[in-house]
Amino acid sequence: MNRLDNWGERVTRRLAGRLSRRSALSRLGALLVAAPAFPLLPVQRARAADSAAHAQKGTDFSRAAQTHDDTACNYWRYCGIDGNLCSCCGGSTHSCPPGSQPSPTSWIGSCINPDDQRAYLIAYRDCCGANECNQCSCLNTDHAMPIYRPQANNHIIWCFGTQSFEYHCSMAVLVGLAE
Amino acid sequence: MKRIAHEANKAALGVAALSMLVATGLGTAACAAGAAAPPVLQSETAGVTPFAGLTAHDVAYSGMDGITDGGVRIVNGDTGGLVASVYSSQYANFAWAPDGKTLYISETYWALGNRGTREDVLSIYGGPTLANEGEITLPGRLISDPKTHSFTLSADGHYAYNYSFQPAPAVTVVDLRARKVIDSVEIPGCGLVFPFGQRGFASLCADGSLAVSDANAQGKYAVHRTKRFFDVMTDPVMDESIGDPSSGLALFITYDGWVHPVHLADSPKFDKPWSIEQAAGLSPATSHVGQITWRPGGQVPAAYERSRERLFVLMHEGPPWSFEKAGTEIWVLDARTHRLLHRWAVPESAYLVAVTQDAHPLLIALSHTWLWVMNPESGAVLRATQIVTPGLVGVRGE
Repeated sequence: MNRLDNWGERVTRRLAGRLSRRSALSRLGALLVAAPAFPLLPVQRARAADSAAHAQKGTDFSRAAQTHDDTACNYWRYCGIDGNLCSCCGGSTHSCPPGSQPSPTSWIGSCINPDDQRAYLIAYRDCCGANECNQCSCLNTDHAMPIYRPQANNHIIWCFGTQSFEYHCSMAVLVGLAE
Repeated sequence: MKRIAHEANKAALGVAALSMLVATGLGTAACAAGAAAPPVLQSETAGVTPFAGLTAHDVAYSGMDGITDGGVRIVNGDTGGLVASVYSSQYANFAWAPDGKTLYISETYWALGNRGTREDVLSIYGGPTLANEGEITLPGRLISDPKTHSFTLSADGHYAYNYSFQPAPAVTVVDLRARKVIDSVEIPGCGLVFPFGQRGFASLCADGSLAVSDANAQGKYAVHRTKRFFDVMTDPVMDESIGDPSSGLALFITYDGWVHPVHLADSPKFDKPWSIEQAAGLSPATSHVGQITWRPGGQVPAAYERSRERLFVLMHEGPPWSFEKAGTEIWVLDARTHRLLHRWAVPESAYLVAVTQDAHPLLIALSHTWLWVMNPESGAVLRATQIVTPGLVGVRGE
């Protein structure tokens, strides 16, 4: 878990550095929204345990997933992605295309890597500010939750903390093992 | 070859001109013979076609964000024709006043298009031509793919409830008669709005319970949680479940097709859940990997005909977690007896379903490009209209 904790800390520091110090409420708000991205929380630990359990069985998505083409909807990390793949828009699974801006917030899913049959935590982070990319539009819903459970919902526009709520594309950033 | 074609065209034009001359000559001869000349067409004044309100068979739908421009469009179910269109931002939501004459749109704008000062507003459209009648500034709103229950009205149209996630979950209560925000009710760990009674509303919570909010005689809201009635980790209730503000009945439908009827009130009454698949004589769907069976799915996968207590659900054959897959059939269920009445095939897979609330209802199914008007009794497709990609759908009296 140390890796995950370090990752959470990095995100927190970056977030704190980007926001106006005057806007305490805004900062608190963004932190609250970003909270789902921090695997430090008990809820995330519970989800990780759940993910590890379902990794043993696999999912219908993981049974057909592949690990070599990140511009295809069945790439293993995209098990819960809803939107345009940044890999098709000039970016990658973990970098935004030029002209857009990564949101410091995200929702967290867990996907099974078919190569090692292990579950990994994936942060689905949106790139914002540019017009919608409209390339490689995917809708995968493995363990995607309704909107009243926002930490695992892919319908929310995760552009909190950026200068713009204009949705461009979605990344699938590898966070670490869900174990 | 191009020159030859050009010459041939010239020849053809010549023949056509000769024909016109002959015809003109004949026409002149006819006039001379005493036939009445056609009247001179009258001059016109440009205006706007009057809008008398949403009719019982009108269907309103919003454009899907990112794929098409926003906007709310109204299609007449009896003709398939477009009746009216109203502007909206992306990620907007809409609701009609009970009389079908006033349209409320919850939407968000930025001063410089994609940046600058943000403004969340409830825009009002109405009058004889469905014109803009002003806005009410909102303290915030959820920006997401469209959700029916993120913006709803009380049954009498007095209050609007706007779900906000900016940053904490809350419901903004708007007095539509006074045209002002009167409260912001925090609902930590919960979301969406299912109105009941005069001023009450319920929200679904991440632990499988409901948050019930209601105002006392002084208008002060209090919130309390109910028992947990579903397992959110294995079989969550869909965002797009059924809520009927006039009766307070909610039919919360899960990914696996279980219907939880709840009579919303300050102390909600939870009826025993029933399975859509069992109603069809099948085994209940489960979240077991590899179980391919009939399941509910789509963007707006269910509609409820209040007077006859009929539930219309878009169904598809798929594995667990396929709850957004389009439906190949609409299942018609008796929500009182929990029996399957009909299974109607849709021409293509449909993502949204609606049913009008009048004595001669129309069943509406929408794909990303077509709106089909169907007979709910026979399943016959009465007409089809090409549409822009839809986000949400609504009819009068919902």
